[in-house]
Amino acid sequence: MSHRLPSPLPLFDRNLLRIVEKVVPRAEREEWSRAWEAELWHMHHCGSPRRTSIAGITADFSIGLTRDALWLRTESWRHTFSGTAILCLALLFGLLLLSTMVALILNGSCYLLGIYLRDPFGRFLLEAPLIFVTFAAASRSHIEQSSASRRMCWIRRQIFFAAKTTLTSLLAFMLSVNICWLIHAHFPVVAELLQTLFFVIFTLIGLRWVFWDQERRCKHCLRSLATPARVGRPSHNLLEWNGTELICKHGHGLLSVPEMETSWCQSSQWIDQIGAWGETASI
Amino acid sequence: MSNPRLSHSAALILKALSLGHCFGFDVMEVTGLPSGTVYPALRRLERDELVESKWEPEKEATANQRPARRYYEVTHEGRVAALAATQRYPLLARLVPEKHS
Repeated sequence: MSHRLPSPLPLFDRNLLRIVEKVVPRAEREEWSRAWEAELWHMHHCGSPRRTSIAGITADFSIGLTRDALWLRTESWRHTFSGTAILCLALLFGLLLLSTMVALILNGSCYLLGIYLRDPFGRFLLEAPLIFVTFAAASRSHIEQSSASRRMCWIRRQIFFAAKTTLTSLLAFMLSVNICWLIHAHFPVVAELLQTLFFVIFTLIGLRWVFWDQERRCKHCLRSLATPARVGRPSHNLLEWNGTELICKHGHGLLSVPEMETSWCQSSQWIDQIGAWGETASI
Repeated sequence: MSNPRLSHSAALILKALSLGHCFGFDVMEVTGLPSGTVYPALRRLERDELVESKWEPEKEATANQRPARRYYEVTHEGRVAALAATQRYPLLARLVPEKHS
C-alpha cells in the first residue's frame, strides 16, 4: 500500500481489503486498493448523516467493495475471452451438458438413458458424417487467402472447426432425442422417424452456423471478427468493390465479403495484415 | 452518437454526478443507493465513456489531512445521456439536489 493514510483503517477493513483485492486483476489492484482505502477512510472519519449505525455502513461498504472487485474481474474475463474460440467451444459444451442433464432427468437414470440412446446413437454415427459431407459439398463458402497462411494457424483452425462441428452435431442429436422422448413410449416407430427428421434439421441449421462462424473468425487468433462496415454501392457491383468488411480487433487482418458473387470476385477475401504492420514498423 | 439506454439507478448516479457530487461516498449519500450499486455503476459509466475519473491532487488532500479521493466527472456524452434520462424519468431532477460547495 503505497499511499499512506492520515490515520490507519480499522483492522476489519484492512483485512477485508487484503482478502478481496486478490479478486481484482493484478494490473488494477493497486489503484483499486487506493480508491477503497480512501472511500473507507472517509466513511469512518466524515460519517454519514443518513446512516447512523456504523455496523450497517461497514456491511454496506463490504458488499460494495466485493461487488466492485467482482465486477472488475468479470470485466477482465469478458475482455480476455470475448469472441474467442475457447469461449465458443465452452458454450457449446455447456449446452451439450445441459441437454444431457435434461435427457438424464427425463429417463431417470444413467442405465435407462443408455438403453434409450443405444439405437438413436447408432443411427447418429451413420447420419452425421453423411449430412456433413453433403452440406460441405453443397456449401459455396470459400475464402481466398492473400498470403500463405502459417501451418500452425491452419492446423489450429481445422481443429477448432472439427471440435465445433462435433459438438454442434452432438447437441443437435441430444435435442432431437429429448424432443421425441415424450412420444417414444406410445409411438416408438413414429418417434424414431421424427427423431431422425429433427436431427437432420437441427444438424443442417447447426452446420450452417458452423460454416458462417468459421468464415467470420480471424485466421490467426480465431476470435470473432468485429466492426462490420459496408463498403461500396450496389450500383457499382460490376465495376468496383461492393460488400462488407470485417476486421480482427487485434489487427491480424481484414475479411472482405462481397455482397453478391461476380466473375471477378467470387468469394470472401482474407487480407493478412501481420506482414503489412511489420513492414510499416520497419520503415 | 445514439443515446445509451440507462437503468434508473445509473441515470440517478449520472444525474448526481452532473450536479456536482463527484465521488463515490458523496453519490451514495445523495442518492441513498447502496455501495454495491453505486461503485459497479460508476465503473460501467466510465467504461461507456459517460464519465471519466481522475485522482484528486495529493497536495490538496494532504493540506486537508485526508487521503486523495477519486473524482468522477461527466463527459460531453454523459451530459447528453443525463439530459435524455431526465426527460425519460422526469422525477429524477427532483430526487437529487444540486451540490452547494
